Amino acid sequence: MCPESESMATVQLKNIKKVYPFISGEQKKNKKKADEPEKKKVNLQITDEGVVAVQAFDLDIADKEFIVLVGPSGCGKSTTLRMVAGLEEISGGQLIIDGKVMNDVAPKDRDIAMVFQNYALYPHMTVYENMAFSLKLRKEPKDVIDKKVREAAEILDITQYLERKPKALSGGQRQRVAIGRAIVRDPKVMLMDEPLSNLDAKLRNEMRAEIIKLRQRINTTFMYVTHDQTEAMTLGDRIVIMKDGYIQQIGTPQEVFDHPANLFVAGFIGMPVMNFFDAELKRDGKKYFVEVGGYRTELDAEKEARLAAHDVQSQPITLGVRPEHTDVADAGISAKVEVAEMMGSSVHLHVNAGGRDVIIIVPTIDMKGNYKLGDTVHFTFGGRVAHVFSKETDKNLEF
Amino acid sequence: MKKVPEPAAAGGGSSKMHNTLVYIRQHWQLYVLFMLPAFLLTIIFRYIPMGGIAIAFTEYNPIRGIFGSEWVGFEHFQRFLSSPDFMRYLMNTLKLSVFGLLWGFPAPILLAFLLNRIMSAKTKQKIQLVLYMPNFISVIVLCGIVRILLSPTGLVNSLLGTSTNFMTMPSAFRTIYIASGIWQGAGWASIIYTAALSNASKELKEAAVIDGANIIQQIKAVEWPAIKDTVLIQFIMSVGNIMSVGFEKAYALQTDLNLNASEIISTYVYKKGLLDGDYGFSTAVGLFNTVINVILLISMNALVKKMNEGKGI
Repeated sequence: MCPESESMATVQLKNIKKVYPFISGEQKKNKKKADEPEKKKVNLQITDEGVVAVQAFDLDIADKEFIVLVGPSGCGKSTTLRMVAGLEEISGGQLIIDGKVMNDVAPKDRDIAMVFQNYALYPHMTVYENMAFSLKLRKEPKDVIDKKVREAAEILDITQYLERKPKALSGGQRQRVAIGRAIVRDPKVMLMDEPLSNLDAKLRNEMRAEIIKLRQRINTTFMYVTHDQTEAMTLGDRIVIMKDGYIQQIGTPQEVFDHPANLFVAGFIGMPVMNFFDAELKRDGKKYFVEVGGYRTELDAEKEARLAAHDVQSQPITLGVRPEHTDVADAGISAKVEVAEMMGSSVHLHVNAGGRDVIIIVPTIDMKGNYKLGDTVHFTFGGRVAHVFSKETDKNLEF
Repeated sequence: MKKVPEPAAAGGGSSKMHNTLVYIRQHWQLYVLFMLPAFLLTIIFRYIPMGGIAIAFTEYNPIRGIFGSEWVGFEHFQRFLSSPDFMRYLMNTLKLSVFGLLWGFPAPILLAFLLNRIMSAKTKQKIQLVLYMPNFISVIVLCGIVRILLSPTGLVNSLLGTSTNFMTMPSAFRTIYIASGIWQGAGWASIIYTAALSNASKELKEAAVIDGANIIQQIKAVEWPAIKDTVLIQFIMSVGNIMSVGFEKAYALQTDLNLNASEIISTYVYKKGLLDGDYGFSTAVGLFNTVINVILLISMNALVKKMNEGKGI
């Protein structure tokens, strides 16, 4: 709990896999009959072994790093966290915490603490008793327990609620208690499973800031699961984006925003979502251009160098441009206005460009007049903000 | 359209109560429709027969009826309380009930905790089916099975290599009665606790595991609080029935040689009332039994409320 804590906690997940085997009868039901023609599997996560929730998960977490696992529902992020916690058996691979293989170690002996989405506070215990529970089970001396609980309560500003029961607290206060219960254990790794999902938007923002401050004070390794990309971007030192049990990309928030590894990451990170166009990538020696709807622009030197390094040739591509990087101009790609959303500092212009829905963010300060339904506008984008994705693999051609 | 307030709108206790009353007043026809059958059935089958209590104070003659029979006041009660067998019947009844409660009450709770630990839903269902089945055997059939199993040539004696006639031993009666009762009823009674345990939060259990709680500590911290209120209500109800030991089973397990332990108030009432035709006396004994039950129910409820933050019946 103390900032001067000396405990080192690197976490390594090596080729981690989680398979939920079919329960008896289910496999039989799913087994195709011998004379039945082979059907193409729609969901790749269902295999003969069972339902694969996580696979090929490789991640090295540095000491005191804040890692955020993010992805849509069912992508395997919570399962991964639960495997680290010891609440789920690991079907394959190795989990190493602080240099020790932890696959078969009981949760209590992993030196971890976990904060749950629904707070998971013992309803019949007071806040103090809730926070002291794990220490009591460890048979720590009463004065040590008292010191640790009061220190944590001070950090989280819940000292005045120590004698209350959880039902007498608000959602935000309960979540603070849940965090307090975790930090009194002084864990090597702090696991958080969507801890802010049950809070309203305002409280979520406040608690997000609280977690950032808390992280500076308790200085331990964090693994944080969320489906909210804003939380992921604001909290994480690095983000792990997952889909269908696979890691899609690992990187700092800026890296994944600026250089999404594939179409999924490009669409998942960023709000509003990235615009996608069917376009052409043209190579002219060391220069690369993208052409879409009669508009042509040259990519910037950094992107050209990356593409050239992979010897990418001219080809049809999916072009991605973020709404905030799309500019309304006098000439460029032509589109019809469908909706104009006034957001205060900007207008989110929903336009139709050749059958594609496109969002353009126009700063209010740059607006020359009001946009009306059916107005024709033109937009452009620069070569530095254009993302080129393979039509065949959906991967970013820069990688 | 008239706006109808929700029955439990947010706010203080008095405003909640006010809203509920307004809601009831606006929909009184609905309440009458649903409550009337239950109300009538309760009146007809529970309250009107209470008039029969008067039999306890008369030398009842079925031909003359209650009002035509001779009024004897508390004579039957005095006769019963001064009878040399009164204490034996009372103690037999109390011992059977109290020991039955002590052994029989925790059994379904323990069973529910064990069932709750079974991870595979299918295995759990199969085990539950096996546990519930004895409940559907009639008491008389059950007693028949017990008599056969415990006969000198029965399975128990064969296994022990003895030829003891357990059914003639007064010292064995209570054990036989209570153990067969647990075997028959514990599975079925565990349903209510299993249902209550399903309310125990899965995340809370996992939090306890991470906190380092062992199985007993997990039960204490997570599962017991989830079923505590249900257990208390069941306990109060059971204590309220402590004197209502059904006569059928005791009568069916009774032999001339185990009467010392097996003659209880309800078998005595049966014999006096129906076999000897002494209706007034047997009603008085039955009423005495009921009064003791009511006193126990009220006292236990008050005690539990005191111990459980005002929660009781």
